Amino acid sequence: MKSTSKRKKLILQLSDVCKRFGGVVAADQITLELYGGETFGLIGPNGAGKTTLLNLITGIYASSSGTITLNGKNITKLPTHKRARLGIARTFQHPRLLDGCDIRTNILMGVDLANKRKRKGEAEVRKEMEMLLERAGLQNVNLEDSIEKLSYGQQKMLEIVRALLSEPKVLLLDEPAAGLNEKEMEYIVRLIQVAVEKEIAVLLIEHAMDLVMGICDRLTVLNFGHQITTGTPEEVQANEEVIAAYLGGGSNA
Amino acid sequence: MNIQLLVSGISMGVVYGLIAMGMVLIFRSVGIMNFAQGEFLMFGGYFCYTCNQILHIPIIPSLILASLMMGAVGVLFMRTSYWPLRKAQTKAIIVSAMGASIALKEGARLIWGAIPVSVDKVADGNVNLSGAVIQWQNVAIIGIAAVLMVLVYLLLEKTFIGNIMQATAQDQYMSSLVGVPVIVSIGLTFGVSAMITGIGGGLLAPIFFLNNTMGTVAGAKAFAAIVIGGFGSVPGAIIGGLIVGLVEAFGGAYISTTYQLVLIYVALVLVLMVRPQGIFGEKIQEKA
Amino acid sequence: MQSVKTKMKSISVPKLFLAVGVILACLAVPALSSSYMLRVFNMAMIAYLCVLSVYVLLGMCGQNSFAQAGLWGVGAYLTANAVLKLGCSSLTAFTISVLGTALFAFILGFAFFRLRQYYFTFASVGLMTILNGLFMNWTEFTGGALGLSNIPAFTIGGFVLESEVWKYVMILPICVIASLLMKVLFRSSMGRSFMAIRDNEMAANCLGVNSLLTKSIAFAISGALCGAAGALYAFLSGYLSYQSFTYQQSTMYLIMIMLGGTASPTGAIIGTLIISLLQEWVRPLQNYMQLIYGAGIMILMIVQPEGILGGGKAFYEKHIKKKKAYTPAE
Repeated sequence: MKSTSKRKKLILQLSDVCKRFGGVVAADQITLELYGGETFGLIGPNGAGKTTLLNLITGIYASSSGTITLNGKNITKLPTHKRARLGIARTFQHPRLLDGCDIRTNILMGVDLANKRKRKGEAEVRKEMEMLLERAGLQNVNLEDSIEKLSYGQQKMLEIVRALLSEPKVLLLDEPAAGLNEKEMEYIVRLIQVAVEKEIAVLLIEHAMDLVMGICDRLTVLNFGHQITTGTPEEVQANEEVIAAYLGGGSNA
Repeated sequence: MNIQLLVSGISMGVVYGLIAMGMVLIFRSVGIMNFAQGEFLMFGGYFCYTCNQILHIPIIPSLILASLMMGAVGVLFMRTSYWPLRKAQTKAIIVSAMGASIALKEGARLIWGAIPVSVDKVADGNVNLSGAVIQWQNVAIIGIAAVLMVLVYLLLEKTFIGNIMQATAQDQYMSSLVGVPVIVSIGLTFGVSAMITGIGGGLLAPIFFLNNTMGTVAGAKAFAAIVIGGFGSVPGAIIGGLIVGLVEAFGGAYISTTYQLVLIYVALVLVLMVRPQGIFGEKIQEKA
Repeated sequence: MQSVKTKMKSISVPKLFLAVGVILACLAVPALSSSYMLRVFNMAMIAYLCVLSVYVLLGMCGQNSFAQAGLWGVGAYLTANAVLKLGCSSLTAFTISVLGTALFAFILGFAFFRLRQYYFTFASVGLMTILNGLFMNWTEFTGGALGLSNIPAFTIGGFVLESEVWKYVMILPICVIASLLMKVLFRSSMGRSFMAIRDNEMAANCLGVNSLLTKSIAFAISGALCGAAGALYAFLSGYLSYQSFTYQQSTMYLIMIMLGGTASPTGAIIGTLIISLLQEWVRPLQNYMQLIYGAGIMILMIVQPEGILGGGKAFYEKHIKKKKAYTPAE
């Protein structure tokens, strides 16, 4: 969210992170710094290695080299679940909820994770949950219902609510707006706003350029695992390499 | 090296390899483990017995007849226990195959009785090889099994039917779009799978008598062969079968006969721990 | 507004009737059954505990194991040895079985769950075969092929629960307690992490769930249930043979839960009762019994691939309860 000029805290830092699959370099010396309360965009054509980068941050893939630091702690070698407990939350391109369960169980998964760090009172959790569901436009759902009753967009929203309830330091969003209508996009923006208010660092992968340019403070452009440029939306839009990558200059189409 | 044990180990191994190959063909085609494959072996053996001992047909034509009948059983099995469930969860298909396995076993007992029976040998007598006594039957088993394996390879790789079967195995939906009748293709796969497994039963019958529970034991060993060789790989099934046959023969002779099956499964667990995808299997990378 | 945790729901009238009916049925069984039928029910309840162990592992955690009858055997032999060799009291022996089998499963879980999905299932078939081989050959612990006999019935405070009715009275509450504990587990954060692994292991990891530990705990809980079942079986039958603890028995548990439905302990009850009674009903047909039984499983699976409970629920939602979909709130 574009906002304030108050001093921000460095949360997530990637330095020279590489990932090779056999001969293919999916991430090439990625260097990023994410600050609390900042919305950071990650854009690039299909197959540019955006989701791979999320998988490297969450620990689903082990990085080939480089270091990842969260709040000053080196997490490069930690397994996924430990990183999650330290405060890395993510959503998936297609929502991965507990599809055999009701909405309540899905929401409580997030609360469980927060409880592993510090147990909170039920009243506090309930207030938080109500606020988030309201922001996501889900205030009228019956928590006992199976998640199959939710639309695709609502499932995506629920996944973000679940991630926010886990009280993360970093929120990684993998194409949250893909496949959503205008109204639902608005809810996504409202949820990102909540994250920003909570001083969470948000990393946003998105193809919808209006959304990215509209809400990101800074962004980086990836192509073939390569960081083309990093900067404010205005700087990025003016960058010639970016234009080439997107408009199909030479072999980079 | 004990040549006698080596030959009997290999001859058992190739039979396990045949069953394992049958299982792998089905697995590659429809993505499920056929828990009734061992029963195909037992049925094949009994069909061979009917032709050979009751109708007095010579053994080689009996084997061929039995194999053809097994082809029909395979298709029937597919139509009754797999096809109605093709859209259900895998667990349901497995349980249905388990039910079929019980029914086949009991069906065989009702038809042929519980008393173990046998058939003629393909080749009689022994051969003396530098002090080791080797049954010609064992040599014949190895030969016939090798021929069958080559035939299956040719069928899959070189013929039109084989191409159809492989295409369906790779992508049912796409093959149905280009005009491959999926049910025919899967039926053929089950048929071929039952045929090669069934011949194994006829070959084993003179060495071990036929009874209605032989399939379960042989199936368990073939299962171990698949896992050791690499899940879903045809060469893996054959190599795995040989390993199981040899572990069984040498383990039985040098360690203990009562622990034979246990030894095989200890080998299986060890292989899984070191190399979960088996010897020839490809590692399955979960898509993130 | 809605509460975070589930509140105690007010009990509806049909549920009340159902509860009363079940209690009456439980009381009626010992009163109306012959000693033989009561033995059948006792055995069914023991099987139910093992099926419940499959429910935890497969229904909740999504891991398919064929080693449950092996764990059942471990529990049974632990009790027999504790009573016969160590001279433990019945209650101590029961506790040793439950905890010992749970620990055994937990340790094995750590080794075996390094293998994922299919591969774990394969390894569990291996484990089952190995355990059966041990039961058959390890004479000091299992009596080898002869088995162990003369295990005394459950004794508490000098009172021997010798008759079939007393055994029923002992086993039934244990089954009820186990079922209630499963309900508690289902609503706990532990249960949720099981289900998260079942539905998507990677997403579960991203929610802070440690796969290896969580699956091992699920295996340990299933081990505790099998251990309890094994102890009860030892006290019930007084004689143990390796022939009871086979791969076939493990597949039976899977068949039972699949028939009933994997979604809840109720499915386990339905499946266990149907198969146990089916085996008794077809017994007069002697020769054809196993054939009908096998074909019956096939047909039931084809007609109800989601299990009887799953199929019934789908029918209910489709035809009786009106579906309502949500529209995004304005």
